[in-house]
Amino acid sequence: MKTGKQRTLYVLKNLLLLIYAVFALFPLIWMILISFKSDTEVFTTTFLFHPTLANYREVLIRSDYGRYIRDSVVVSGGAVLVSIIVGVPAAYALARYNFPRKEDLAFQILSYKFAPEILVVLPLFMIYQKIGLYDSYLGLIWVYQLISLPLLIWVVRGYFEDISVEIEYAAQVDGYSWYQIFFKMLVPLIKPGLVSSALLAFIFAWNSFTFPLILSSNKVYPVTVAIMKYLGTDSAHYGQLAVASTVSALPAMIFALCIQKHLVRGLSFGAVKG
Amino acid sequence: MAAKKKSNEKSDLNKVPFSTRVRPYMIVAPSLIITIGIMVPFAMAIWYSLTNYSFKLPNHKFIGIQNWVNMLGDASFWGAVKISVLYGTISTVIEMLLGLGVAILLNNLNNGLSKVLRVLLVFPLMIAPVTATIVWQLMLNSSVGIVEKLLNIFGVYNFPWAAAPGTAMMTVILIDVWINTAFIILLVLAGLQSLPKSPFESAKIDGGSAWFNFINLTLPMLKPSLYIALLFRFMAALQEYAIIFALTKGGPGDSLMSLSLTAYQKGFKFQKFGAAIPYILVLWLIINIAAKRIVNRQRAAQKQAAGLEE
Amino acid sequence: MAEIKLEHVKKAFGKVQALSDITLDVKDKEFFVLFGPAGAGKTTILNTIAGITMPDEGTVKFDGKVMNLIDPAHRNVAMVFENYALYPQMTVYDNMASALRSKLYKTSEEEIKERIAWAAKVMKMENLLERLPSQLSNGQKQRVAMGRALVRTPNVFLMDEPLAHLDAKLRNSMRTELKEMQANLGSTCIYVTHDFMEAMALGDRIAIINEGNIVQIGTGDEIYYMPCNEFTASLMGDPQINIFKARIIEEAGGYSILFAVGEDAVNLPLPKDAGIYKAIKENGLEYVDLGIRPQNVKYAFEPTEGYFKASVYSYESIGNKSVIVAECGDYQLRMIAPNGLNVAIDSDVYIRFELDRSILFDENTKKYIVRYDEENFKALANNSEGK
Repeated sequence: MKTGKQRTLYVLKNLLLLIYAVFALFPLIWMILISFKSDTEVFTTTFLFHPTLANYREVLIRSDYGRYIRDSVVVSGGAVLVSIIVGVPAAYALARYNFPRKEDLAFQILSYKFAPEILVVLPLFMIYQKIGLYDSYLGLIWVYQLISLPLLIWVVRGYFEDISVEIEYAAQVDGYSWYQIFFKMLVPLIKPGLVSSALLAFIFAWNSFTFPLILSSNKVYPVTVAIMKYLGTDSAHYGQLAVASTVSALPAMIFALCIQKHLVRGLSFGAVKG
Repeated sequence: MAAKKKSNEKSDLNKVPFSTRVRPYMIVAPSLIITIGIMVPFAMAIWYSLTNYSFKLPNHKFIGIQNWVNMLGDASFWGAVKISVLYGTISTVIEMLLGLGVAILLNNLNNGLSKVLRVLLVFPLMIAPVTATIVWQLMLNSSVGIVEKLLNIFGVYNFPWAAAPGTAMMTVILIDVWINTAFIILLVLAGLQSLPKSPFESAKIDGGSAWFNFINLTLPMLKPSLYIALLFRFMAALQEYAIIFALTKGGPGDSLMSLSLTAYQKGFKFQKFGAAIPYILVLWLIINIAAKRIVNRQRAAQKQAAGLEE
Repeated sequence: MAEIKLEHVKKAFGKVQALSDITLDVKDKEFFVLFGPAGAGKTTILNTIAGITMPDEGTVKFDGKVMNLIDPAHRNVAMVFENYALYPQMTVYDNMASALRSKLYKTSEEEIKERIAWAAKVMKMENLLERLPSQLSNGQKQRVAMGRALVRTPNVFLMDEPLAHLDAKLRNSMRTELKEMQANLGSTCIYVTHDFMEAMALGDRIAIINEGNIVQIGTGDEIYYMPCNEFTASLMGDPQINIFKARIIEEAGGYSILFAVGEDAVNLPLPKDAGIYKAIKENGLEYVDLGIRPQNVKYAFEPTEGYFKASVYSYESIGNKSVIVAECGDYQLRMIAPNGLNVAIDSDVYIRFELDRSILFDENTKKYIVRYDEENFKALANNSEGK
């Protein structure tokens, strides 16, 4: 039974959360509103307007939008996948083993985030042209590692460090091989860290536009580059921009919905560290 | 558990098998191999900073440290440093505090609202920053913006937002906070999920207040995750240019010309690529130093947190 | 079940020498206790036997076979970790079944069910089987950790302070259960504890470990009555043994000791004992450390013949009896007394030593020289070793 004080606290907490939610979500609603406005009405109306589907038609049906989305999915999804396959074991090694210069190595991986992409994008352009990775899926997936790998490794490393090493000893004594222990015991325990950093890495890779802009042209055309189209011209089509951006955010939203059960307490083991 | 590699005195019975000794290197190697290549473009960029490389000129020639000297002599350079640091610091601090608070609320309340919001509140991060900036621009617009309409109720009219140097920084930080607080929320929420329960149970028996528990139990155990979130967010905030560019392209005047923006302007607008690089390298250096400091604290916090769980 | 041998095992972690030179011989089916203060190296020894830690030097043998290069999974040992090491994402049932479901130790599900039911009954946790570790108290977690080991049929059971977090009542009942189980199953068991009563009650033999070295190995009685040095004597026994400097002087017909009480010296005759007198004569003993257990210190509150004076420092109950600590010159003497006495701090108390139970230590090396009635105790030790 809640006391009066507890109930006020409860209401207050919900209220604060609600206020932030309005702040965070309202602009999204606004964006969806814009997607239904014609260009002339964007700057002249607020809530009352004549909704139109012209923007949707223009973006989704007339342009090559499906293809842009596909390219983004391949490149961003592929990059995150590679980062997971390569990064999770690396995170484990950095957490458990003590080899010389271990921290230097971890810092080195972090250093890929120290400068904006514009620093290396032109030299990369030249190199990619030379080695034939220009305008290719592989080329972008590879360069996207600079975006996704550091975050994944550093977050997952923390989660590995939180697992008491004795659990591994116990599993060894129980008769399991190192590989079995890694996949059946440890990976389930790092899930919150893994899925949250994977989602974030996916979002950052998806939103990146400098790399695709310079390092690819027609064959691989992620949606972020396409969105630039709606701005660069003399008359910006805000309505179409809104459609493009909303649809562009959908894959990440689906991803987030899929992993949400790992972000909910309940299954929380809580005893990982003991 | 790593065995030390001793001198040849060790008999064969005491040598850790090769496959086990080599394992750490084996599993770190792929990440290194994939990323070590970046050193080449990095070195090339440094080289270009010593030339007068430009898209306008057919050839480039070595000019030594002239670009660097020019940069240090440029009055706006120091302004750019200040803007980068100011922007990065203020937005990160706000996002950390806000993100931490929201994550705690989400974790604390277990009702329908919080469960739904756990997913929804990440959405702002998914919108392309350029688009988000434009949407906010429209919302802040002095004729049809919804925010303008709201402020009118309080008797504030035509708030300058991005138009005036004084308020432009505030505007751009507002947008940054809107987009990036979600990053903090997600990481902190994940961190809160894996806190062990037993210290909290002991504390309940000891009769500590909720605030006391938070400061002395939750926070220390959460610190490693907080430092990671801080680290990545701060590094990114110092480099931010999409939002600023989309909002004012660096203006009004020079009020938002951060190091990133200056480099972008010199490199792409004026096409003097060689001259732009030093600005980015200075940014790189600033971030390097800041990151080192934060990483050191993170490692210390990690070790301390491990001790708390016993 | 197997005989476990450690031969000259050394292990260092960085600059710290965890094990200096450990040689142990645990017989098949023996309940062997490793006893010592924290940080002595007991867990490292267990880890070395289990294969979790590889010794820098020396060998580990099971039934004569060298195990150094064999990984823990293949050694068939069952271990109870000090910090339980339960798998957080599995139920208690699955935790206990874990080893029996691995490829190496595969058992049928029916057999698993039977064994877990039995172990759960022994550890009194039948109602906990569907819970997750995060839903258990420390004591419950510890029981699960034990249960996880008990369902196996390993070469040896390695237990690292498995009863430390249980309440006293449960600890006592578990102790009895454990000893009985071990005898019935005929299992070799190496058991770490820092509770000397547990060590005495459970161990067929006890190894005293300190700072990475083995100090003494023997039966409980052996170590209690003939501790090899003062450190061991102090470790075994609660309340702690009283040790003080004494000077042996020759007198008509025998010896007596002089020991200092403040400014004065108290002269107590040493009762006749062939072994003691021989040792004194042969070694020319003059200054020694005399050890006498609290239960062999008698007291009176009135001046009595043969008792010397001291003053009460404290009076504490330790359960079904109490300890009087008396201050006597530079020393504090501990003695056992019944509960419920009316004892005033700083009041006078008169003390007599039952010197015919005392132990003599070398004042420099702190090592054991001789004790009263040595012959009989040696015989006692030999008999109990035979069991």
